[in-house]
Amino acid sequence: MKKSYYLFNPGRMSRKDNTLKFTPVDEEGNEGVPKYIPVESVNNLFCFGSMDANSSLFNFLGKQQILVHFFDYYEHYTGSFFPKDYLLSGKVLIAQAEHYLQPEKRMSLATRFVEAAAFNMLKNLRYYDNRGKETGIQIEKIESYLNQIPFAETVDSLMGIEGNIRMSYYEAFDIIINEFEMGNRTMQPPSNEVNALISFVNMLCYTLCLDMIYHTQLNPTISFLHEPGERRFSLALDIAEVFKPVLVDRLIFSLLNKRQLSDADFDKNLQYCLLKESGKKTVIEAWEAKLNETIKHRSLKRSVSYKHLVKLECYKLVKHIMGVEEYKPFKAWW
Amino acid sequence: MYIILVYDVDEKRVSKMLKLCRRYLNWIQNSVFEGEITEVKLKELVHHASRIMDTECDSLIIFRTRQEKWLEKMVIGKEKNEISNMI
Repeated sequence: MKKSYYLFNPGRMSRKDNTLKFTPVDEEGNEGVPKYIPVESVNNLFCFGSMDANSSLFNFLGKQQILVHFFDYYEHYTGSFFPKDYLLSGKVLIAQAEHYLQPEKRMSLATRFVEAAAFNMLKNLRYYDNRGKETGIQIEKIESYLNQIPFAETVDSLMGIEGNIRMSYYEAFDIIINEFEMGNRTMQPPSNEVNALISFVNMLCYTLCLDMIYHTQLNPTISFLHEPGERRFSLALDIAEVFKPVLVDRLIFSLLNKRQLSDADFDKNLQYCLLKESGKKTVIEAWEAKLNETIKHRSLKRSVSYKHLVKLECYKLVKHIMGVEEYKPFKAWW
Repeated sequence: MYIILVYDVDEKRVSKMLKLCRRYLNWIQNSVFEGEITEVKLKELVHHASRIMDTECDSLIIFRTRQEKWLEKMVIGKEKNEISNMI
């Protein structure tokens, strides 16, 4: 299993003896003891600290098909180093574009994304409802929004319904989470701990989806639910929609309710809230553990990790686009 | 699969061996490496290694275990290289 590496410390990454060498550099510019990273075990790199590198490193990473994701000081995603596509398929690309251009085909895919996302959200809410957290009102609201979906005629109105569903869903967060208050969802900048966490883990989820898309024939810029060409690789946003309730939200609930994160892990100067480095590390560790968790896949009849589940979703999408098999989005069945 | 790899090769070939192993595994001590690896990657590694080695006098030993959790690791004294994917 290839791993993700998370770079927090400033330093220089270089190509050395056909593998990666990381030399940490402290504030005065003194070099520390270099660390070698086995290149054959690297899936991707996440750069949170400042990294020095030269083009020969990127040539090497490109050859090894390693993606590098960059984040700014406020841990916002700024971009990715995306090596040359190695799984090229003109057929898939044309079919993908066709599915975007034809309104019925696009609507049918977009509807599936929203329905699966809502289904997975309801799963979460029902789980907590059974455990004495009163989320009945939100469940009813979401169900009534779900009934509107078949009447949506355009993707825009579908997005509107999706927004309403998500708003009711976020209302339930204050009921589910014990210690912290979330209030309204605020993004830029996040105003409190829960919002900061949602932003951070959502971003990890988007990059995960992007990674998985890279390893399939799909083109990450042509999307169905989100408008292509807006913000980042929008197909990753579509796929993330399905997985956010299962991966992101459950992780947040357990991190906060099991008190793995506390007040001390957040930085609340300047009227907004950010994760401190200690907090980020806790979150990433939990995130990695979550991705490597396995479940028994019903139709494959073997155990697959959550990470692989996302890739399977991409394969299903390819099949749908190529007309091999209808796309049935992932719905949590447990 | 999680493996521990140790080698004992002649000084002339030691640096080649080190460089090769660094590509696949984490260095933990002089001529000792460990890490997660797939069956195929291990074959690749062994293939490359056997071309460096002189099988008359050099040796390479690989301990394998199904998963890291089946391996109890104790470090006495200074841990020379902590393995972590957060750097």
